[in-house]
Amino acid sequence: MAPPPSSYRPRKKRKFPSSFTGSNNSLIVETDGKASPAFPLVSFLWSARAGVSQWLVLPLILMAVGLFRWAVSLWGYSGFQVPPMHGDFEAQRHWMEITIHLPVAKWYLYDLQYWGLDYPPLTAYHSWLLGKLGSLFDPAWFALDESRGFEDPLLKVFMRGTVIASEYLIFIPAVVNFLRRYTRTQNVPVWSASIALVAILLQPATILIDHGHFQYNTVMLGLVVASLDAILAGRMLWACIFFVGALGFKQMALYYAPIMFAFLLGVCIFPKIHIIRLLCISLVTAVAFVVLFLPLILGQSVLYAVAFQLAQTIHRVFPFARGLFEDKVANAWCAIHTFYKLHRFEASLLQRMSLGATLASILAPCAIIFRHPRASLLLPALSSVAWGFFLFSFQVHEKSVLLPLLPMTLLLAGDGGLSKETRAWVGWANILGSWTMFPLLARDELRVPYFVMTLLWAFLLGLPPTSLEIFRGRASLEDNTLGAELHVLTKLLHACFYLAMIAWHVLEAFVAPPPGKPDLWVVLNALIGAGGFGIAYLWCAWKLIQQCRRIDQKAADETDKKNQ
Amino acid sequence: MADLYPSLAQCAIVATAFKVLLFPAYKSTDFEVHRNWLAITHSLPVQEWYYEKSSEWTLDYPPFFAAFEWMLSQAARYADPAMLVVKNLNYDSWQTIYFQRTTVIVTELVLLFALSRFVKSVSQQNKHLAHIASLSIFLSPGLLIIDHIHFQYNGFLYGILILSIVLARRQSTLLYSGITFAVLLCLKHIYLYLALAYFVYLGRAYCLDPKSVFRPRFFNIIKLGVCVVGVFALAFGPFASWGQLLQLKDRLFPFSRGLCHAYWAPNVWAMYSFADRALIPFAARLGLSVNRDALASVTRGLVGDTSFAILPEVTKEHTFGLTFLFQLLPLIKLWLRPDWETFVGAITLCGYASFLFGWHVHEKAVLLIIIPFSLIALKDRRYFSAFRPLAVAGHVSLFPLLFTAGEFPIKTVYTILWLVLFLYVFDQVAPVSEQRRVFVADRFSLLYLTFAIPLIVYCSVVHQLIFGLERYEFLPLMFMSSYSALGVVGSWVGFMVVFFTA
Repeated sequence: MAPPPSSYRPRKKRKFPSSFTGSNNSLIVETDGKASPAFPLVSFLWSARAGVSQWLVLPLILMAVGLFRWAVSLWGYSGFQVPPMHGDFEAQRHWMEITIHLPVAKWYLYDLQYWGLDYPPLTAYHSWLLGKLGSLFDPAWFALDESRGFEDPLLKVFMRGTVIASEYLIFIPAVVNFLRRYTRTQNVPVWSASIALVAILLQPATILIDHGHFQYNTVMLGLVVASLDAILAGRMLWACIFFVGALGFKQMALYYAPIMFAFLLGVCIFPKIHIIRLLCISLVTAVAFVVLFLPLILGQSVLYAVAFQLAQTIHRVFPFARGLFEDKVANAWCAIHTFYKLHRFEASLLQRMSLGATLASILAPCAIIFRHPRASLLLPALSSVAWGFFLFSFQVHEKSVLLPLLPMTLLLAGDGGLSKETRAWVGWANILGSWTMFPLLARDELRVPYFVMTLLWAFLLGLPPTSLEIFRGRASLEDNTLGAELHVLTKLLHACFYLAMIAWHVLEAFVAPPPGKPDLWVVLNALIGAGGFGIAYLWCAWKLIQQCRRIDQKAADETDKKNQ
Repeated sequence: MADLYPSLAQCAIVATAFKVLLFPAYKSTDFEVHRNWLAITHSLPVQEWYYEKSSEWTLDYPPFFAAFEWMLSQAARYADPAMLVVKNLNYDSWQTIYFQRTTVIVTELVLLFALSRFVKSVSQQNKHLAHIASLSIFLSPGLLIIDHIHFQYNGFLYGILILSIVLARRQSTLLYSGITFAVLLCLKHIYLYLALAYFVYLGRAYCLDPKSVFRPRFFNIIKLGVCVVGVFALAFGPFASWGQLLQLKDRLFPFSRGLCHAYWAPNVWAMYSFADRALIPFAARLGLSVNRDALASVTRGLVGDTSFAILPEVTKEHTFGLTFLFQLLPLIKLWLRPDWETFVGAITLCGYASFLFGWHVHEKAVLLIIIPFSLIALKDRRYFSAFRPLAVAGHVSLFPLLFTAGEFPIKTVYTILWLVLFLYVFDQVAPVSEQRRVFVADRFSLLYLTFAIPLIVYCSVVHQLIFGLERYEFLPLMFMSSYSALGVVGSWVGFMVVFFTA
């Protein structure tokens, strides 16, 4: 058994396992005695490797990824010309409409049948701000009740613009700052960091959902990343505030909450107990929540109304009244339901089952993070817990796959993150993730952007189906190090999944499903997806354990050296 | 050893991904023009191609382009046969859009091929310069805006032009260069503007002995003559035999249009109009006579026939005279020193002359200067400093082609991205020149660049905020056009100096 870390060690002195050298080696391969890029994305930044100023590289990257976002946004959005309810675009527009016209007290109560507000207060404030801005251009876009189902091309441009602006004000600064700090602690060179940044910002699933389907997920994800950044910087209280912000924007951030909770509790207890820190963290979190709900509460005069308002908000935000799962989503329940109908059980039993399974899946990562509250372990922990939630929790939506994908993709920026192994796994999970959303995207007429963005990402990272490079052994500069070559089983597994995805697309496009089962292809998609996500969960959990053990090993070595 | 990363093919893949995403973007009437031509060539006999006028967008490109449309129409049948019906005006089903946009992307492979030949033709030590120049051409915002949003086939046509320029590099392929250029002329006659440079260069380097002007190489003359005449006979022969040449002439050279296009291309005439307009308030004080008829149209700013209030009218003869004169100057030098770089320089200057002084020049024609210039812009720093204002002015002047809100971020961000990236990279790699640089020219260039950003911001945002969308709407256009004209003229003067002192 490894002895516990003997004493307090300042963050900066932490050493990292030597199997990764923190170099650019995984980006460069040698062919005929000449250095050449390992995958296409590297070659696009090839001339930046000699240390071109970040003041030039960063704006160029941000402009390029922005262009792709805007180009995707030229395509359709959810609910376009689908009366009477339309889709997410109309929901967001409707919230802008009601927040700017109604008193705060009515926000969560107004005509709930037509896209009643069911996101937490920060979304409501965000909608209010955007609604006010949009009314400057044209008040008709947000006229109360009159504007339902409004579909002006200029309105579309405005709404798309707000998504991009929100993303560039929150998500992108957060990711850039996080990567800067994270790569520094992991000894990753600036050049690798820039490459990882492009890969992260071009993540197909996020772009397709936010700029194609239409949502503001990046605001919530950006607040989560800002919270991680604050943790890396050692500013725990800011981390609490940002995370409360994320929760207050979209309740889906709860997927991350157990890890954040375990981590923040952990840093107060290990290696020694900090009562004051614990108190500060709890206080700041509570205050942040109060501030978040304050405008809603201030709108009321009687205590009863306050309680009612809170209850109503929470009731709207957590719809336990709905079923175990909606539509066909690639999680465990939908997969089980295919073979063994779950209708026969009572709703309350199903709820308890779901709760139990979710808890079981997240327990181990939470325990590890609680016992070893290290910032470098957060990413695999967050992604494995989010996968656990996605697979087993109640009322999962296929778009929720963005949550586990974000921390998993951020792993690309870590030490050895662009090595063949991590790249192959992260890339596989991302491609699988956007593939499971294909039925949703196809409904929004986003087939072309789906294929373009997913294949482009695969191409840039040198992944199947555009390149078989990861399956080939190649003489690389990182010979004899971990992760130079993929395990045979990994290769086999990935190959199977890629083939299945391609075969599925062929089936879906050219073969009509059998008459009795119109949803067969969608169910098949969900089944394969659920299997893949289960594997992704295991990989993240294994990654977490592996990194944790490596750090323990390192600590033990250091203690040995000191004792000698 | 210079690294050639990212490769042309990799850039082409990423650029293609982006272009495919632009399928639903704004498309101009040129989209309908080309759809109509697909329909005409597909459903009518050849004799009627140049007589059909159901649509106002009649066929006004030379026969090879019509044949090109006919070939495309063979594939279009499988996409959506309804687009091939002549009476289906303004037909734009999504199959039609996907098909036509795809043909632009696919035919652009010609440009990719020509550029890869260009890189191959350069010596090992300068290969990276040629590679960078090729990337800058392939990713040019001009081609993106004009071809992939506005809709035209310039990528394909400029590919053929570059191919012919590359073929002119070696003595052994000069003949093919001539043939390729003849084919290009039969595809789109705007390249006639560059024809004199080819005429002089091929005449001097291919038809005459390199050592003496007085020893013609008769066999070469015959070969070239037969081939070029053959190409033209192939294109125009059938129409000649049907007695349609006069009709073709009317279609290809519609001289009824005015001096300036609706929106002024940034050339000398734009500056002339600007000066005319600026003089109006001072006319009374200076005792000049004002043409009252012109005033109404002048303040509107968006007119087909610009007439001048104070300055003398400009006739077609004037523009031809000036164009010819300024083409002649570089050609004299080309005659005296017929090497490849002088040839490309002369092509560029011919493009300049016709763009700056031509009659009814369209702003899209600025590519006629930018693309040949890009091939030699990295020769040394003096070339580059002449190229810089042109790159800024030329591309900025294309902005008014796209006026819809949805495309605004694309045209501006893409152009800024391209300018920052390539002007920075060019600046890093351009070799030091052997001759002294002109201090004043450098300062002018810098001043010019710094002025661009506030102007773009003013014209695209601030102006509307101050005056609203309706009032003085011609003002931003006029500023942009005059500013761009200043840049193009400045870079022309700069390049003339470089060309004649080299």
